Amino acid sequence: MSGFDSTIQGLNTTMNLRLVNQNVISSNIANADTPGYHAKKVEFEGALRQALGADDQLQMEGDSPEHIVIRSTDPVSPAIADDMNGVESLDGNTVNRSEEMAKMAENQLLYDAAAEMLKKKLGMLKYSITEGGGNR
Amino acid sequence: MDFFSSMRVSASGLEAQTRRMNTISSNIANAETTRTEEGGPYKRKDAIMTATTDKESFGEILKDQLDQQVQGVLVDEIHEDTAPPRMVYNPNHPDANEEGYVAMPNVNTVEEMANMISAQRSYEANVTAMNAAKAMANKALEIGK
Repeated sequence: MSGFDSTIQGLNTTMNLRLVNQNVISSNIANADTPGYHAKKVEFEGALRQALGADDQLQMEGDSPEHIVIRSTDPVSPAIADDMNGVESLDGNTVNRSEEMAKMAENQLLYDAAAEMLKKKLGMLKYSITEGGGNR
Repeated sequence: MDFFSSMRVSASGLEAQTRRMNTISSNIANAETTRTEEGGPYKRKDAIMTATTDKESFGEILKDQLDQQVQGVLVDEIHEDTAPPRMVYNPNHPDANEEGYVAMPNVNTVEEMANMISAQRSYEANVTAMNAAKAMANKALEIGK
């Protein structure tokens, strides 16, 4: 696993979390006119920190080579909770459309950034595998 | 939890907003209708929406906690507005009562127009969300190219 370092693992987790975030934002936008619907929010940073730091905390003591090593970065399961900052409108809906659109744009941009970095990482691997002669 | 989950949710939003737009068109078209099958003037209709879990996702089948939080939308019922009809004095109208008043539909055209703009904006927001999911999926496919 030495070729696939913690950066790649981290990027993988980030992309998975961004996908979950995108799904939740889509759900909020679709339900912007649903009476009584409460906007939902992904506890993003906490989940990412947990996923990245979990390696140190949850590593199983392996005193036999037959022991299974737990890979903690995948799958991700962040907490999704009602957004407490939402203001309830007359029909009990707490979705703020412009805020959701802004969040979605930000999320998409950061997803693209993570994908781009992963691409570069793999490109570097490919470069070294092909002794610098390969197509980057 | 995948890209298609996001797209299905946005599609449900598009469908719901289309239905809402249909009821608004019906209200505007019938703003002066005094005769209906049920008798009496046309009554204003309203699409009532409700949140629903994404039935097609694999997580829904597995009762995944994460996927239950991602909800689509669905028009639950077409609600008839029970507000009283607008009474307009017009003794020459064939549907006028003894005092010369005609019961006109309880449709406020200005309100319908405002509703229509809201439905249009919501539709556009759903299209944007779907395009964002598509762009992200395309970006992910570029990895390793």
